[in-house]
Amino acid sequence: MASSPVSRATGRVAVPVLGLIWLAVTTVPFLFMVMTSFKTQQESFSSSVWTLPEAFNLVNYIDVLSGSFLTYLKNSVMVVAISVLLVMLIASMAAYAFARIRFRFNEALFGLIVAGMIVPIHITLVPIYLMTRHMGLYDSPFALIGPYVATSLPISVFILTEFMRQIPKELEEAARLDGCGPFTIYFKIFLPLSGPGLSTVAIYNGIMMWNEFIFAYVLTSSTSTRTLPMAVWDFQGQYASNIPAILTVVTLTSLPLIVAYAFGQEKIVNGMMAGSLKG
Amino acid sequence: MTSITLSGVNKSFGANFPVIRGVDLTIDDGEFCVFLGPSGCGKSTLLRMVAGLETAYSGEIRIGDRVVDKVEPADRQVAMVFQNYALYPHMSVYDNMAFGLRQAKTPKDEIERRVKEAARILQIEPLLDRMPKALSGGQRQRVAIGRAIVRQPKVFLFDEPLSNLDAALRVHMRSEIATLHRNFPAASMIYVTHDQTEAMALADKIVLLHAGKDMLKHGSIAQVGKPLDLYHRPRNLFVAGFLGSPTMNFLPATFVGQETGGAHVTLKGGEELVVPVDGSQLAAGAPVTLGVRPEHLAPVPVPAIQTLTRKVSAVEHFGEYSFVYLDGGTPAPLIAKVAGDGGVKAGDSATFVAPADCCHLFDADGIALNHLNSL
Ligand SMILES: Nc1ncnc2c1ncn2[C@@H]1O[C@H](COP(=O)(O)OP(=O)(O)OP(=O)(O)O)[C@@H](O)[C@H]1O
Ligand SMILES: [Mg+2]
Repeated sequence: MASSPVSRATGRVAVPVLGLIWLAVTTVPFLFMVMTSFKTQQESFSSSVWTLPEAFNLVNYIDVLSGSFLTYLKNSVMVVAISVLLVMLIASMAAYAFARIRFRFNEALFGLIVAGMIVPIHITLVPIYLMTRHMGLYDSPFALIGPYVATSLPISVFILTEFMRQIPKELEEAARLDGCGPFTIYFKIFLPLSGPGLSTVAIYNGIMMWNEFIFAYVLTSSTSTRTLPMAVWDFQGQYASNIPAILTVVTLTSLPLIVAYAFGQEKIVNGMMAGSLKG
Repeated sequence: MTSITLSGVNKSFGANFPVIRGVDLTIDDGEFCVFLGPSGCGKSTLLRMVAGLETAYSGEIRIGDRVVDKVEPADRQVAMVFQNYALYPHMSVYDNMAFGLRQAKTPKDEIERRVKEAARILQIEPLLDRMPKALSGGQRQRVAIGRAIVRQPKVFLFDEPLSNLDAALRVHMRSEIATLHRNFPAASMIYVTHDQTEAMALADKIVLLHAGKDMLKHGSIAQVGKPLDLYHRPRNLFVAGFLGSPTMNFLPATFVGQETGGAHVTLKGGEELVVPVDGSQLAAGAPVTLGVRPEHLAPVPVPAIQTLTRKVSAVEHFGEYSFVYLDGGTPAPLIAKVAGDGGVKAGDSATFVAPADCCHLFDADGIALNHLNSL
């Protein structure tokens, strides 16, 4: 469709304006959060919400970090790292099979797995809770790994299969002539060449898991076993109305994600495009 | 023994028409064999069957005296060069060439020796540490060939290796591949192309595969032979029309009778010609097709025996030679390729002689009548 000069001009103005508005909507709460975390409780009540902190007061940080925050952090890192690695391994193997091995129910199975994306996790809560109890994993951080991996697989298999379908068939054939079987082809050719797809999967799922609340809430109950999203919950009870302290927890929790995003942004975007742009 | 024998080979994909049909073929020790044919005739498929990349066919393929139908690609002692090079993008040039040897657990120093040697032959020594994406098309092609050389295969397989290169580089690499063949006299080579120039330049033996409207012949061998055999003695209309550029002129004619000099025919225009072929199987009055290549039609001042006189519809000048388009060919216009500017212009009436030995006669089924004189 050819757009008229008028609508093109409007677009040239409207797009940046809308972009700025959206930027404000997303960054203002963030700024508010960071600013407040440097205020004392006293200050946060007396001053306006928008005034800068009188000094970069680290009292909240000291307070939070000397509590059980580090235990939560350790649990989060462990659960997310193990889950992400498992997702990458399982999803890439499945994707290789779906993208490259011809077998009778290939398309049907692929469709079924991808359909898993539309299952709301809420309806799985009770069964998973019961299963976890049966397995004796209740109130262990390891209880989270199974559900995290399972809920991440559909989108991951989808992204990686689309990615691997674009790897030229001849590379695989050259590898066969070079003496590789399916496993060697997977490890030495497809896995390394799927790097961008794998980082997309890792970052995307990593963020989801880092922020995941519901399973963590249902499957763990002690301070020593809970992950960061539960920290906010717990601190909320502990600090009652100490808003700066709570916002400090939130700031510290989102810090790793912000760092990860800053470094991985390009890969996230590219990876998402790789899945959708197909000739 | 590195001869390759295909016996009664048929292949179809799913329930479709066969793609390869009744192929019987022997490629001798150290021979350079070219699979030639139009797009879609099954050249690549046939090559890939020799490589072991296509399975589920009927018939038998032998490499040396071993039946390889159930042998894995890697164990067939073949190496293949792909059209799009198929270099591993995440490995350096050195690693690309060493990969197969490492898979085969070749000792490290042996790998290094072979890779260095191949790099020297192909003049890519300075590129060994580069990644494929930092190479030009010609360099990639060399690396792909290098990857084949290091494996010391008994058979080299090439699938249109030059078609992604520009024209000048293509001619250059063509001569390098010919050199490669001389450097490895013991290895047989199968080379797929749809470019007849490449085929004529490189081949010891051309295998021309059928394609086109006649589905019952699609994927069968139209003719096998030395390049000049196919050029001078095409066995049927398909071969005659495929080789040569511009293509052979075809004129409808009527068989009059067999004489001592050959078959006597009359053209639509009334001209009488004697073609030195064996027409003794034909009945008088049988429809035949006369074939004569544009480069064999020579201008003469006056009509005589063996000549055609036609009106000139157009002339194309290329300096060194000209194409003279004449009315009255079917279905395409007649073309004569003459030296210099041809000395005629559109609208003139011009006369050309068709030397008897350069004429071909095809029966109603498109099969060539045998020439009386051998080449
Ligand atoms: N995997 C496949 N499934 C179904 N049909 C196929 C398959 N591979 C090839 N074909 C068909 O087989 C025929 C021969 O294909 P092939 O690739 O061998 O042709 P080709 O002679 O190499 O042509 P080109 O010069 O275009 O490369 C074609 O009609 C093609 O459509
Ligand atoms: Mg081909």
